[in-house]
Amino acid sequence: MAGRLFLLPAVVWVLVFSIFPLLYALYTSLHSYRFGRINEFIGLRNFERLFTDANLHSGLRVTLTFVIVTVLVQMILGFALALILNRELRGKSVFRAIMTLPLFATPVAVGYLGITVFYEQNGPVNSFLSSLGIANIPWLSNPFWALVAVIIVDIWQWTPFVFLVSLAALQALPADLYEAAEVDGASPAQTFRHITLPLMAPTLFLILLLRLVESFKVFDIPMSLTLGGPGRATEVYSLFTYRTAMRFFDHGYAAAQGFLLLVIVSVIVALLFRRIGQLYELER
Amino acid sequence: MRVRSTSLVSQVLLVGVLVAALAWVIFPFYWAFLNSIKRPADTFVNSFVPFLQFQPTLEHWLAEIAIPETRQALLNSTLIAVGAATLSILIGTPAAYALARFRFKRPNNRFFTTWFLSQRILPPVLFVIPFFLIMRELKLLDSVFALILLNATFTLPFSVIILSQMFRELPRELEEAAYVDGASAFQAFAQVALPLVLPGLVAAWIISMAFSWNEFLFALSLTTKNGIPMPVIIAGAEHTRGVQFWFVGVRTMLTLLPPTILALLAQRYIVRGLTLGAVKG
Repeated sequence: MAGRLFLLPAVVWVLVFSIFPLLYALYTSLHSYRFGRINEFIGLRNFERLFTDANLHSGLRVTLTFVIVTVLVQMILGFALALILNRELRGKSVFRAIMTLPLFATPVAVGYLGITVFYEQNGPVNSFLSSLGIANIPWLSNPFWALVAVIIVDIWQWTPFVFLVSLAALQALPADLYEAAEVDGASPAQTFRHITLPLMAPTLFLILLLRLVESFKVFDIPMSLTLGGPGRATEVYSLFTYRTAMRFFDHGYAAAQGFLLLVIVSVIVALLFRRIGQLYELER
Repeated sequence: MRVRSTSLVSQVLLVGVLVAALAWVIFPFYWAFLNSIKRPADTFVNSFVPFLQFQPTLEHWLAEIAIPETRQALLNSTLIAVGAATLSILIGTPAAYALARFRFKRPNNRFFTTWFLSQRILPPVLFVIPFFLIMRELKLLDSVFALILLNATFTLPFSVIILSQMFRELPRELEEAAYVDGASAFQAFAQVALPLVLPGLVAAWIISMAFSWNEFLFALSLTTKNGIPMPVIIAGAEHTRGVQFWFVGVRTMLTLLPPTILALLAQRYIVRGLTLGAVKG
């Protein structure tokens, strides 16, 4: 009885502020809107538009490219760095502290700062590259390079996440296995392949999942760094939906778009779900 | 001999990797700081050492802080961060305790935990429309209060999951002893368990504050003037006004210093916080 009372406020809160808005969004998605006011019930017509909207598909493509590239690079860089630094090291705690800074730096502020970092005339990145003999890169005015810039900023921000979590997990691995491997004369490559990798697999899997879920939500960095441009080159899914809702006041259609994104992310999570249960010790 | 030479190579490589990683991580912060204390003319030259290469100035900081909108935004951001984090901890802690210590049937603990966790999957952009329409009906558009409610909602699953892990790690014996002495469930929670998780609770509060401070999508969608927090102040400003490196520097620093400092305070709990408790750092 007491247990239910303890749980009640949080459950009510989620029902009111999360489940109710979700249902409200569903209701919205079945209607058309005019001047921000509900117009008429149109059934599934907003959902039908999802299949034929080239701009939405472009947003989805940009997002998928962004997600695949950033998550892959972050996983590789972050895990590699953790492997390299998984040893006794003076000043390691200071290094770890510094690595947490990007994670908590306001993403909009980072994107905004990126405008000056990637400044094409004499900005620091292009100055550095030209000292290496690489000609000026049109970071923010060229569709391809603008997406690269957005991706680089995200990699800067989130690689430390993979690093910190991997390092914490590596340090918790049982030392006796490594001692046994050394006694048996295993090479570093064999030790990595047969001990480190299998033991780290659940953690890497968890990191992958968390990064995937978060990356699909991407909004702040493209909004502040490139405003989705040039053209639609960096207009990610959430940015397109935001504009549908808040600039064109096409609320019903924007809600339908939101549900499509939810379905896409849920399918990915569902494919991987059994494992998360174990990771979160959902024993009861 | 061979062993020694490879270890020297690996030492050099290690130092190289460390230096490169540090430079990569720190550069943007340092670049923002540099521009914030440079005279406008100096920002067009790549110089990196104040006093030696250029004369630093605080004029942009003073100018930015003198702007009423900026002051209002700093105040709003602070209210949102503190308000949302406090609310989320207040509601989340009892629920976390319940999930850690009580056994529920239909729906069971596993269901509740999954339910709270699954909140993280919902794309925020799906909530922009309903929240905008609801807040418009409630006449709460452009209010700090609305953003406190929303950020509390989005940090609540985090508080519940992470604190229930911390409660689960406490030995049950202390609470059982309290029960033997005639304590109620509420007393066992408030007087025995709560003080023991206090460091973790403070860390969860701090991390929730940082998340709420950084939130941008809802701040952008729901505020127009009085309720605007820092992330909205800076978003897109330069696209319309032309790039003034020195003000970009100041605004960036003003916006990202509070959450990064908070993160340093909660250092011990960061890994746990970022993985929702799945990996203990």
